[in-house]
Amino acid sequence: MLEVMNLSAGYGAMEVFWDLSLKFEGGKTTTIVGPNGAGKSTLLKTIMGLITPMSGDVLLRNESCLNAETWQRINEGLVLIPEGRLLFGDLSVEENLIMGAYPKNSRKSLENNKENVFNLFPRLKERRNQISSTLSGGEAQMLAIGRGLMEEPKICLIDEPSLGLSPVMTHEIFSIFRELKEDKLTIVLVEQNTNQALKIADHVYLMQAGRVALSEKRENIDLKKLEDFYFARN
Amino acid sequence: MLELTLQAIYTGLLSGGFYALVAVGLALIFGTMKVINLAHGELVLLAAYVAYATESKLGLNPLLALPIAMAVVVSAALLTYFLTNHIKKDRELNSLILTFGLGIILTNSLLMVFSANIYSTSTEWFFEGVVIGDTLFSMRSELLAFVVGVLSLGGLYWWLNHTWHGRAIRAVSSNLDAAKLMGMNPKQAEMWSWGVAGILATLAGCMLYTTSVIHPPIGHGLTIKAFIITVLAGMGSIPGVLVGAFLIAIIESLTATFFQSSLSELASMGIFLVVLIVLPSGLFGNKRIH
Ligand SMILES: Nc1ncnc2c1ncn2[C@@H]1O[C@H](COP(=O)(O)OP(=O)(O)OP(=O)(O)O)[C@@H](O)[C@H]1O
Ligand SMILES: [Mg+2]
Repeated sequence: MLEVMNLSAGYGAMEVFWDLSLKFEGGKTTTIVGPNGAGKSTLLKTIMGLITPMSGDVLLRNESCLNAETWQRINEGLVLIPEGRLLFGDLSVEENLIMGAYPKNSRKSLENNKENVFNLFPRLKERRNQISSTLSGGEAQMLAIGRGLMEEPKICLIDEPSLGLSPVMTHEIFSIFRELKEDKLTIVLVEQNTNQALKIADHVYLMQAGRVALSEKRENIDLKKLEDFYFARN
Repeated sequence: MLELTLQAIYTGLLSGGFYALVAVGLALIFGTMKVINLAHGELVLLAAYVAYATESKLGLNPLLALPIAMAVVVSAALLTYFLTNHIKKDRELNSLILTFGLGIILTNSLLMVFSANIYSTSTEWFFEGVVIGDTLFSMRSELLAFVVGVLSLGGLYWWLNHTWHGRAIRAVSSNLDAAKLMGMNPKQAEMWSWGVAGILATLAGCMLYTTSVIHPPIGHGLTIKAFIITVLAGMGSIPGVLVGAFLIAIIESLTATFFQSSLSELASMGIFLVVLIVLPSGLFGNKRIH
């Protein structure tokens, strides 16, 4: 479905990862774990075309998408729910959600999807007219997730969704992801919360210092071992 | 005294609607591209000359020039966009030089084609008086310019909030990477902002010709006025543009009434500086296209 081949990318002259190859199977959930600064967010941004790779290739449905602009990749159903606050800070919560319905295929169900998001996150409904730059960290995270869902993704890249969320809220959003998984979405989930992330994963990658340190099927992974691995190289 | 003050405020209010119409195109383009189009006033003037040519050469009402003027000015705006888009490095800075140069070229082309003569409309309908409440006086054309200005800004506000092209302009102005992640094509949003700025400049130009006199050098002055209002508004805020335009125009009108009309520009510059010292990011600062 989505594949990264011998990819190298970074910022300016600084390379963050080299010769990276990963495969994300259609309809499956792949989790990428790894310490801070490993290059996980950079990888997702490169897949989306926000960063131009120095070498290598990104294959979407077996075809290179490197020549496609970010907006063209979105129209192919590839969506990123970004880490932190890549929100429209000077627009209201509701306006942010409306922007999520911009892709042609998701426009007609704008109202429906907005209601669904408000049902998932009643807090966003309460604060629908608040300017999004004034949201709390957790609320901003909910908005980023809600806005991503408005885009009706087919392949959904999610960068640290639990960042800043309470344990209850984290549990809630993971149950949303489980539903998406049941709907046969292809999910790539970057998470520090290994416990939760492993539960819904089909395949797991461990990224360290710009390299894939481990690639295993979920059933072959022992959380204890993964954590040993994680900390041993940290 | 009271009557004189009210009349001065009224006159200022009316020209404020026109100033806002001149300035808003500049604010729109700044929002999407962080580029200041220093040829904006010249584009307004270009539309005014098309209106003049329509009236004097074809003998038609200058307002009938709108479709042709729009075609001419929108083409010129899009051409400016494509040239700006070809700047490879430091676009924000180099575009100043590019658009300043294009403004000079436009002014001199107008000079060549239309000479340095001063023109104004000869259609009498425009300068007949309108009296409101027995005291407030204006020409029909001034009232028309005000109405067109306010309606255009209202229309623009609606368009930015309720159409997908408009929303894309707001999104790109707010956060470029986030806009890309919503599937928006920034180039398309930029092009729309220039096209719409061209339409607004055309309306402003036709209003300019019917309310006032035109000659080639005034394009530059219009650019400066638009720039001041945009900065005063807090770069890119549309309600801010309206408020800033009214503020500048009313100050100018009061100064002209109670002191001298030659001091009015100085007074508006003074207000501009004071606002920037007190509120460095403008009246509606830190907001983008709203
Ligand atoms: N805009 C940027 N400019 C320069 N360097 C950057 C930029 N963004 C990230 N980096 C650097 O690139 C490296 C990888 O960062 P990245 O954000 O991809 O890590 P990550 O794996 O997502 O970490 P985390 O788990 O903390 O989110 C880090 O060393 C970081 O400092
Ligand atoms: Mg990260």
